[in-house]
This record gives sequence, C-alpha cells and structure tokens, in this order.
Amino acid sequence: MRPNRKQRALVHLSLLVSLLLTLIPWPNTLQLLMPQWTAMVIAYWSLHDQNRSVMSLAFFYGLMLDILMGGLLGKHGMALVALSFLVLKSAKQLRMTSFWQLLLMVLVLLFNDLIIRLFIDWLSYSYLPKWQDFLPLLSVVFIWPWLHYLLNRLNGYLRHH
Amino acid sequence: MDALSQQQKLTQSPLFRFILLQFICLSLMMADKNSQLTQPLRQGLSWLAMPLIKVVDWPQKLYQTVEIAIARQAKLIDENNTLKKGLLELQLKAQRNTTLAAENERLRAMLNTAQELPIKTSVAFVTDISQTQKRQHIVINQGQTDGVFLGQPVISLTGVVGQVDVLADHFAHVIVITDPAHVIPAEILRTGLRTLAYGHGKDLQLKEVPVSADIQINDVLITSGFGHRFPRGLSIATITDVSVSAERDFQVATASPGVALNQLTEVFLVWPDEQNR
Repeated sequence: MRPNRKQRALVHLSLLVSLLLTLIPWPNTLQLLMPQWTAMVIAYWSLHDQNRSVMSLAFFYGLMLDILMGGLLGKHGMALVALSFLVLKSAKQLRMTSFWQLLLMVLVLLFNDLIIRLFIDWLSYSYLPKWQDFLPLLSVVFIWPWLHYLLNRLNGYLRHH
Repeated sequence: MDALSQQQKLTQSPLFRFILLQFICLSLMMADKNSQLTQPLRQGLSWLAMPLIKVVDWPQKLYQTVEIAIARQAKLIDENNTLKKGLLELQLKAQRNTTLAAENERLRAMLNTAQELPIKTSVAFVTDISQTQKRQHIVINQGQTDGVFLGQPVISLTGVVGQVDVLADHFAHVIVITDPAHVIPAEILRTGLRTLAYGHGKDLQLKEVPVSADIQINDVLITSGFGHRFPRGLSIATITDVSVSAERDFQVATASPGVALNQLTEVFLVWPDEQNR
C-alpha cells in the first residue's frame, strides 16, 4: 500500500512541527525535561511508513537540527539514521507488540539516540555526560503514547480521504 | 540480467542505505571538525532553517510590540524620567572623559607609544531559540551575509559576551565566555597581571595565578588583547573568590561575569581595525 500525497505531506508537517517544538524556548527547569521531539516523530514514521525513504528523511532533518543547534554537522543525522534503521529492522514485530512493550522499546531506542550524541560530544570536545542529560527520557514516557495516538488518528484519517 | 537485479536489490536494501548515510554523516563530522569544508553546505541549509527560526521568533517580537502598545502612559513617563536621569549622568561622565582622553593622548605622545583606537562595533539582536546542545551558545540574527566572521568578538554594554563559534548565512551561534570549552586571555586591572580565564559553567575560573601574585576579591578582570582576538581593555568579570589549588602550586580565583548572559537581548559585534591588519 503506497502512502498517498496527503500522508506524505503529514510526514513532513509532523517533522517540521517537531523541529519547531525543539526550538521553542522554555524556562531552564522545563528545558532539562524536553524530550527529543524529532527523534520520536522519526521513530513513529519508521514504524508505520512502508517505504524506506524514512531513513533519508531522518538524515535530512538531522542535518537541519545540527544547523539550528549550531552543532557538529551530521551529529543528529547520525543518531536519527541509526534510530530509524533500528526501528525499520524490527518494525513488523514492533507493530504486533503490546503498548507497554512498544513504549519500552522506544525508550531503549531513544536512550541509544542520546548515547550516540553524547559519545560524539565526548569525542569532539571531551564533554562529560551528567545525569541531567538523561532526564528527557522521563518525559518521553508521558508524551510518546499521546504522540503515537495522535499521529495514528491523523494518518488513518488521511488514508481514507 | 540477474546480476543487475541483484545489484538493484543491494542498493535498495535498508542496510546498504543505513551504512551509506552513516558514512556520509561520519565524513561530514570529520570535515566539519577539522576544517571549513562543510561551510557551503551549512550556509545552503541555513536558508531552509531561517524560516523556522523566524516562526519561533515572531510571536516573541509580537508580544514585545503589544506590551509596548498597551503599556500605561504613567509607566512610560516613569521610564522616560529614569532614562533622562541616566543620560544626564552619562553626559557628565562623557564630558570628563573628553578631557581625560585628551590628557591621555598627550601623555602617550610624550611617551611615544602607540595610540589606542576606539573600537568599531555594530548591533546584533539575540534570537531567543532554545538550544539542546551541551554548549553555552546564544544565537544572533546576523551571519555571513552581514560580514560576520568566525572568532569575531561579541560584547555587550556591561562586558564581554563571547565570540562567534558557528556561522550560517543569516544567523550565527556565539559561544559564551563561561562555556567550559572557552578560554579568554585576561588581565587584572589593578595589578596588570596577565593570565587566562577558563569558562566554568556559571562563572569563570583563573587556574594559573602564581601563589606569590597579588589578587584580591573585587578585582576587575579585563581582556589583555593577547591572541589578537579580543581588543585590549574590555571588562570581563569581577573576582569573587580566591583560594589555593589542591596541589598548592597555584592560586585559583573565581570570577563572575559582568553580563547577565541568559538575559541578553542585544549584543555588539566588534570589528577589527583596518589599520592594524
């Protein structure tokens, strides 16, 4: 089943919105809890989109994130491509699993995403990770189910129209 | 024919694409880290990133405009009065400064030393977008098209802010002096002692002050002009704490920057003199 044009638009729209959500400034305490919006959206589309262009999308939006954050070019790209590949590989099984198992897998994969970026930071300017760097995973637990539900509804709606 | 379809299969497989993209990312990172090779790509993509920044920035601008529009007149009059008072004081100071500057110039001429030229600056505004990077960056609304260059000093009214670290076409990331990866050559105004000020999260640290050196709390730290990045004589911070290092071979001083680095709205870019170059 090929996704129609509206569904394609939704993919790009959701990724753009995730970039905007990353950019919105918050007070410092909330900022520490900000989940990896783009990574979550990429994980969703890798899980539900049939064609494999998601990986190229992950690469492109990763580069955009690097530009916006003034980081090393390709850092977010690498983390997101890896995330997308890992989800794609096990997408069939993941779509079958229960809610909690899926949540757990997403958490593990986003943890992996964090680790890749921290490792690159460590290599490039010997940044030593702190425990606060893992706080975003906490908010992922609360946001992922809602994001998953919302995108499912939107995607389902567009499929029939 | 069979070989061809097999080849097609290979390039279509997710593993192949994964490895290819990871390889591209890796080479991009290495190129970005060690040279300026990726600068054109960064500039090209920054054109796409610009609308996103504008979208986040615009409501904040709107809020400020509305705030001014609906501010009560009494408040505005109050503000006006305080500004006038401030201006008066500054004008008096400036008047004294002109005589001092003239005197200074005469003395310099007598001593036959180099003239200190006033620094050239231009204003840039800080774009308030959040940064998930583990670095202390602020984003300003000027980039390469405005002539900004890498390593350009950035100051504010109350002291040094940092220098341009990452450059795009219409915006630039400025690394702040308190970032742990940033070091600035400094001088203690009272004694003329030159040292280095390392970024230390929320404040600065002077790790290499000799034990015999004279350094006190409330000493003012200025840029020493070494390294030819920052012009000499800009205020950086004031010393808040002095102690002896664990190995007892150096004094360690902590200094808090004069600039409220997380509340900046506008900064000044410092331009190099054509005469000195």
